[in-house]
Amino acid sequence: MVATSNSGGVGARPGIAAALNQINPLIFVIIGLYIVLIIGSDRFLAMTNQMNITRQAAVFLIIAIGQTFVISSRGIDLSVGSAVGFVGCLMATVIDAGVPVPLAILFAVALGMTIGAVNGLVITKLNVSPLIATLGMLVALRGATHLYMGSNTVTRLPESLKFLGQGFIGPVPMAALIALAMAIIGWWLFYHTKFGRYATSIGSNESAVGLVGINVDRQKIMIYMFQGACVGIAAAVLVGRLNAASPTLGLNYELHIIAGVVLGGTALYGGVGTIWGTVLGILTIGIVENGMVLIGADFHLQRVLIGILLVAAVAYQGFRRRRLGSGER
Amino acid sequence: MAEAAAPLLEVKDLHKAFGGVHAVEGVSFTIEEGEAVAIVGDNGAGKSTLVKMISGAYRRDSGRVLWGGRDVPLNNPDDAQNLGIATMYQDLALVADLDAAGNIFLGREPMRRWLGLVPVLDRETMRTTSRQLLDRVKISLPSLDRPVRQLSGGQRQATAIGRFLLSDKARLIIMDEPTAALGVQEQRKVLGLIGRLTEQGITILVISHNLEHVFTVCQRIIVLRAGRIAGIVKTDEVDRQQVVSLIMGGTQ
Repeated sequence: MVATSNSGGVGARPGIAAALNQINPLIFVIIGLYIVLIIGSDRFLAMTNQMNITRQAAVFLIIAIGQTFVISSRGIDLSVGSAVGFVGCLMATVIDAGVPVPLAILFAVALGMTIGAVNGLVITKLNVSPLIATLGMLVALRGATHLYMGSNTVTRLPESLKFLGQGFIGPVPMAALIALAMAIIGWWLFYHTKFGRYATSIGSNESAVGLVGINVDRQKIMIYMFQGACVGIAAAVLVGRLNAASPTLGLNYELHIIAGVVLGGTALYGGVGTIWGTVLGILTIGIVENGMVLIGADFHLQRVLIGILLVAAVAYQGFRRRRLGSGER
Repeated sequence: MAEAAAPLLEVKDLHKAFGGVHAVEGVSFTIEEGEAVAIVGDNGAGKSTLVKMISGAYRRDSGRVLWGGRDVPLNNPDDAQNLGIATMYQDLALVADLDAAGNIFLGREPMRRWLGLVPVLDRETMRTTSRQLLDRVKISLPSLDRPVRQLSGGQRQATAIGRFLLSDKARLIIMDEPTAALGVQEQRKVLGLIGRLTEQGITILVISHNLEHVFTVCQRIIVLRAGRIAGIVKTDEVDRQQVVSLIMGGTQ
């Protein structure tokens, strides 16, 4: 009997519209892209090219899983591109110095988590906004990477590391399988653990989360550390794929990753996030990039297109939000 | 308990000043278990300050607080919560993007193991327990797994109340203007909810400007004026005009 007083009109929605609302609109964008690209290029649909898209997207996706938690909690981590470069270069040099690959990957993950912890501590304990804190980290880490590497580039890495980035299991790239595994772990953490639930809750109403006795600072630090762990794994895959680590490693990745996450439907104002959407968002950008190359379009045109897609996605989010949810934060 | 006859809450000679301004000056009253008591008064009469001393948000300058006949410190919100004093904030402190069951269990989520191995949130338990809690006070929400953003004001209040019922410790619930921002129908539902809570033995202390609502659900009214008690009356012994006079200071 209470149901009748619903103000948003959500309860009265007919079945088909309701079902459509559950579907991520990016699916339609991807279908559209496929139609255009299949017509535009005879090589696009080839298995090798399809797998190439997933391999190219893998590193971005691994980092974007962590970024989904960060943005859901109303934070942002701009430092991921620099961090993947810094961690990748350090990992490559320790491997070069003879450290076994598994140990070096553990080191990369630990280093990534340390960077995340510093971000989290600066944001919570020094009360610096995530935008500024991680912007500072972006600049500092890129500088540190250049300082550390000089003009060196580490090349010729061990086969085992190269396998992570270049290898295949059957027709499927190893990098894509790692990204898939990370997406599944991310999905579990996001929807089925307190960690994920508190991340979106903090993004929705931080003070309410604190009032029930949850340590908000600790949760935020853990979120940035998780982002750092993703960066560490991504660094291993990336260096393995390139078979090289130079100081420009991971340059500008943050824009690509944040665009993918937001495109997927995770709200920049926090409180709402979607792992599945992040997968779609990163894939969409990967398909656009891949397709533009195949069609022979100007390299810079793809960035124009991705920029437009991003703005459209945020505008759509705002529209959906106004329509679905009345009420205060 | 030997002190079965002691009132649930008794405050004696409470004082609170901010700088030179005496917000509360020598207030004393008792509240019995299972009562619904209203605090009324003009703006600046000291209602919020008084209630915040009881909820532990403000520290009293002087005076005693007795809980079940025993002196208690009540220096912070945790003290109050441990005693069983719960405060419903005006903004309800809900996570708007989380569903009702999620809000009720926020910070106390039960876990289960998927395939006996992977720990996952036990949504089923959250949902069924939430429904039982809300059934106890005869509230039905259209859906327990819809974000509370999409619920009406009264439904959100019910969700906030559900949180107190879950802890099972709440014996006194303090509400600050619970009907203020609601439509008429929603107001009626919240009033009904307060009545059912007292039937469950939960004591209610409510700040309200709306005398009609106060007379509907409360047994007694504490009238504050300029930080002092202007009168404590039983709702079945006075009429609204007499209470208004007390608030304005017309009789005395």
